[in-house]
Amino acid sequence: MMSDALNSPAKATRRQFLRRSVGGASLFGLGSASGLLSFPAQAEKPVVGKGGGGHTLGSEFTYDLSKFYKTDPALIQYDEAAKITTGFKELRAIAVGPADHVYAAGDQVVRVFNKAGERVSEFELGDRPRCLAVAATGNVFVGMKDHVEVFNTSGAQHARWKSAGSDAVLTAVAVAEKDVFVADAGNRVVLRYDLSGKLVGRIGKKNPEKHIPGFIVPSPYLDLSVGADGLLWVVNPGRHRLEAYTFDGDLQSFWGEESLGVKGFCGCCNPIHFARLPDGRFVTSEKGLPRVKVYSTKGDFEGVVAGPELFPKQIENPHTAGVSGVCMDLAVDSTGRVLLADAFTREVRVFTRKK
Amino acid sequence: MRRLVRGCLWLALLGLPLASAFGVERFPPPEFDAGYKMPVTTVPAARAQWLSYLDVAVLVAALALTSHLVLRKRSRDGVLAVSVFSLLYFGFYQQGCVCSIGSVQDITLALFNSGYVVPLTTVAFFLLPLVFTLFFGRTFCAAVCPMGAIQDLTLLKPVKVPAWLEHVLGVLPFVYLGAGILFAATGSAFIICEYDPFIALYRRTGSFGMLALGAAFLIAGIFIGRPYCRFLCPYGALLSLVSRYSKWGVTLSPTDCIHCQICDTACPYGAIADPTLKDPHPDPRKRKRRLIALAALVPLLVVLGGWLGGRLGVPFSRMHATVSLAEQVAAEDAGKVKELTDASKAFRQTGQPAEELYAEALRVRGRFVGGSVWFGAFVGLVFGVTLISVSEPRKQDIYDPHPGDCVSCGRCYVYCPKEIVRLKRIQSKNVIPLTPVRGEQKS
Amino acid sequence: MSAPITKPESSRRQFFNGTVRGAFLFLLGAATTLLFRRSQPKRTVWQIDPYKCICCTRCATECVMHPSAVKCVQVYPMCGYCKLCTGYFEPEPISLDTGAENQLCPTGAIKRRALEDPYYEYTIDEPLCIGCAKCVKGCVLFGNGSFFLQVRHDRCVNCDECAIAIACPPQAFQRVPADKPYLMKDREHQA
Repeated sequence: MMSDALNSPAKATRRQFLRRSVGGASLFGLGSASGLLSFPAQAEKPVVGKGGGGHTLGSEFTYDLSKFYKTDPALIQYDEAAKITTGFKELRAIAVGPADHVYAAGDQVVRVFNKAGERVSEFELGDRPRCLAVAATGNVFVGMKDHVEVFNTSGAQHARWKSAGSDAVLTAVAVAEKDVFVADAGNRVVLRYDLSGKLVGRIGKKNPEKHIPGFIVPSPYLDLSVGADGLLWVVNPGRHRLEAYTFDGDLQSFWGEESLGVKGFCGCCNPIHFARLPDGRFVTSEKGLPRVKVYSTKGDFEGVVAGPELFPKQIENPHTAGVSGVCMDLAVDSTGRVLLADAFTREVRVFTRKK
Repeated sequence: MRRLVRGCLWLALLGLPLASAFGVERFPPPEFDAGYKMPVTTVPAARAQWLSYLDVAVLVAALALTSHLVLRKRSRDGVLAVSVFSLLYFGFYQQGCVCSIGSVQDITLALFNSGYVVPLTTVAFFLLPLVFTLFFGRTFCAAVCPMGAIQDLTLLKPVKVPAWLEHVLGVLPFVYLGAGILFAATGSAFIICEYDPFIALYRRTGSFGMLALGAAFLIAGIFIGRPYCRFLCPYGALLSLVSRYSKWGVTLSPTDCIHCQICDTACPYGAIADPTLKDPHPDPRKRKRRLIALAALVPLLVVLGGWLGGRLGVPFSRMHATVSLAEQVAAEDAGKVKELTDASKAFRQTGQPAEELYAEALRVRGRFVGGSVWFGAFVGLVFGVTLISVSEPRKQDIYDPHPGDCVSCGRCYVYCPKEIVRLKRIQSKNVIPLTPVRGEQKS
Repeated sequence: MSAPITKPESSRRQFFNGTVRGAFLFLLGAATTLLFRRSQPKRTVWQIDPYKCICCTRCATECVMHPSAVKCVQVYPMCGYCKLCTGYFEPEPISLDTGAENQLCPTGAIKRRALEDPYYEYTIDEPLCIGCAKCVKGCVLFGNGSFFLQVRHDRCVNCDECAIAIACPPQAFQRVPADKPYLMKDREHQA
C-alpha cells in the first residue's frame, strides 16, 4: 500500500540500531578522551582587555578643572629652592624646631634634618605618627591616631598621654608656653592639654550661645597653630575658613571663603594645612586642586607659593587627590622659608621668597 | 590559578573588617543630633545561578520538542508555536544572551586562551544545538533560536532570491565565522555579538547603530526569508555543515514526488534542491576537464587567500586594544602625537615599562598575522568548495529540502500535495474504521 | 507515524554520511571534554573596582544597555554630608542651592536634602543616572569619594564579553562571584 511506502521507516533492525548507537557513543567517547589528553587545562595567561577603544561623552559630562591647573605667573611669589629626601615610605607630617631643624614624621620614625637638609638624627616610634610639634625646649610631641607621645631632644620617650577615645583621629599638635593643643578630627574638636598631658579643655564644639558654629570635618584634616598673637588658630575645613579662638575656647574672629579661583579655598573642605610666617601671615595648603598660598594676617590673599602645576601626580590620578592620606603639611622656619611635606614624592619641598 | 588568585582576593576582602580591629582605622562620619538614620546603599542581586540551569533545561526541551514536531509530527503549527515561545523566552525574557551564535566566540577564546574560563551554560548553548543537528537537522534554527524565530515570524511577503545571488551570499556566513573566530581567538573583540542585529530589540534598548541594524534586518526580513540566518549567521554556517550529514532531516515524499514544484515555490528560504534529472554536463569529457580545473583552483585559492590574509594581519591587529595602546604609547614617546589618550594615561600611571607593552603587542600581532593567514586560507577554501558545489550539485531525482540549507521550518509540509494526502489518510485512519464502506479502499 | 520519514539514499552516500557523522561525533566529544575542563559552573558577573576608575565616561557610552547598567552609588557612611558637595555642585556654582544651573549632574540624578545644620544628604536617583562619572570625579577629587560607579545587576545583562570592560582604559572591570556581585568602597580605606 502506498501509505506504507510513504510511511516506511528505514528498515534498520533493532540490532543494527543498537550497533550504530554503540558505534556513535564510542566515537564520542574516543573524542572525549582525546580532548582530555590533547590540551592542558591550566591557565597560561588570564584574559584582560587593555581598553583603548570606545568614545567618550562631551564636555558637559566631564568634570574639568584644567583651566585652574595653571597659575598666573604674576601671582607666584616663591621659588622652589631645595628638596629634602626623607626616605620614608609614607611621609605624614613635618615641623620646625629649634635652630630651624626640620622634623619629619613618617613610617614609624621621626627624622631630624638641619637647615641645609642633612640628616642630623632620628628616633623610632612605637606607632604610625600622624602629626607632630616641637616645643622651644626641643621636646617633640608626636600625635598618633588617638594619643600623644612626648620625646625629649635625644629621642627618648618622655611620656605617653591617655587616649582621646576610640573615635579620635588626631591630625595636628601645637605647643604654647604652658599648653598643648591637639586637633581631633574624628570628634571634630580641639583638645587642650597642659604640658604634663592633663586634659584641660575642649575647644570648638558647636555652641550657638557662644556663636561657635562647630567644625565641619568630612575627612581627617583639621590643622591648628598657636600664633604670636596669643590665639589658637584652627581650620574649619567644611566652612573653608580659619577660626581664631582664645585658649579658653571663645571664638574671636575668622576669615576665608570658598572658591576655585585662586583667592579662596577650593572644594568641599579646605585648606587642609596651614602655618604662620614669622610676621604672622598665613601659608595654607589645599587638596583636590593642590596649591599653597599666602594670606595676610587679616586673611587677604597675597600670592602663591606653589600652584597645582607643581603637583602633577596629584592631578593625574583623581583617587590620590582627594581621599585622605594626601599629606601637604606645612611648616615655616625663622627665616620665612616655607616647608611642604609632599606625600607623593616623599620629600620636604623648600620654598623661598622670590627676590 | 586565576580562580585561586580570585579566591584569595575575596578572602582578603572578607578579612578587611577583621583587620580593622587590628590597626586599619576608620574615620567616623558626622554625628547627627536629630536622629538621622543613614540609608543603606542598595545592592540588587545578580541573576540567580539556578536560572542559568533553567535556561539550559529549556533549551534541551525546546530542541527535543522541535525535533519531534518537525520530524515526527511534521507539524508547521507546532513549530510556529515553539517559535513564539522561543522568541518570548530566549529573546525577550533572556534578552538574547547567552545565545548559541555568540557562544562560538566564547568557545574559541576558551580553546585559544586557557586563561579564559567559559561559563558552563555557554558551553551547553554551543554544544547542544550541534548535537541535535547532527541527528535531526537544523531544528535549532527552526524554532529554538530567537534570531531565527523573529525572522521566521516576520516574513510576510517572501521574494525569491536568484540562485546565483544565493550562492554568492551563501559564502558570507563562513567568512563571518572565520572573522569571528579570528577576532575571538586573538582576544580582541566579539564581533558577532557587536553586530548582532536583534539583540537590541530583545533588550529593548541599544545604541542607535544597533537599533538601526535591527530595523534594517527586520524590514528586509519581511521580503527576504531569514536574511541573517542565510547570509550572515556564523553558527548557521556550522549547523548547515553538520546538518548535511545528519541522521534524520526534513524530507518530503520519498518515493513519489510528482514534480509539481509547489514546495519549491513555497519555501521562502530557497532550500528546496531541484532534482538533477537533466544532466547539466552532457559531455562527460568536458565535465571531467572542468572538475579537474576546479580542483586545481582550490589549492590556488587557498594559497592566495592565505597570502592576502597575512597582509591583513597587521591592520587587523589594531582592533586589539593592546596593539593600539602600544602604537599610541610609541607614537607619544616618539613625539608624533601630542594628545594623550585615556588609555595611555592610565597605562603610564601603572608604571609598567613600555617595553613590556611593546613585547606583548608584538606577540599579539604575531598571533594576528598567523591567524589571518589561516583565515584567508579558509575563505579561499570556502570559495573553492562553493564553486565546485555550484558546478556539481548534489544528485537527486526529486524535489527535496537541501539538508544544509533547510532550516526545518516545516512550511513545505503544508504545501506538498502528496504530504497533504498522506496526512489526510492518517487522519481518516484514526477517525474512520479501516473497513471499506463502499468498496473503494484502494486509492 | 512511528518513525521519522527517512530519505531513500544510495548506500554509498549513506556510508559517506555515516562516516562524516562519526567524525563530527568524535569532534564533539573532544570539544565537550576540553570545554568542560575550561569552564566553570559558578556564575560570575562584571564589576568595577572603584579604586581603579578614572571617570572617563566610557561606562555611559559603551554599555549595550542605554542608559548604561553602570550607575553611580552613594555609600553614606563615607559621605561628608558637605554643604558644598563637589559631586553635586558645578565647579563654580552661582549659589549653593538646588537650582539646575548649579547642579553638576547633567541629568539631574542627584537629590540634595537638608538635614540638620550644617549637613546635607545626597542621594542618587538611579533611573536618571547614566553612569558618566562626572559627580564621581568631583567627589573623589575633593571629597571622600563616597560617590563611585558600580555595575547594577538589576540592569546588567552580563555579556560574556563586557563592552565597557574592553574599552575601560585602566582595566577597572573584573569578574566577581555572582553571589558577591559588588565591590563597594569602604570607610576602612580612609584615615
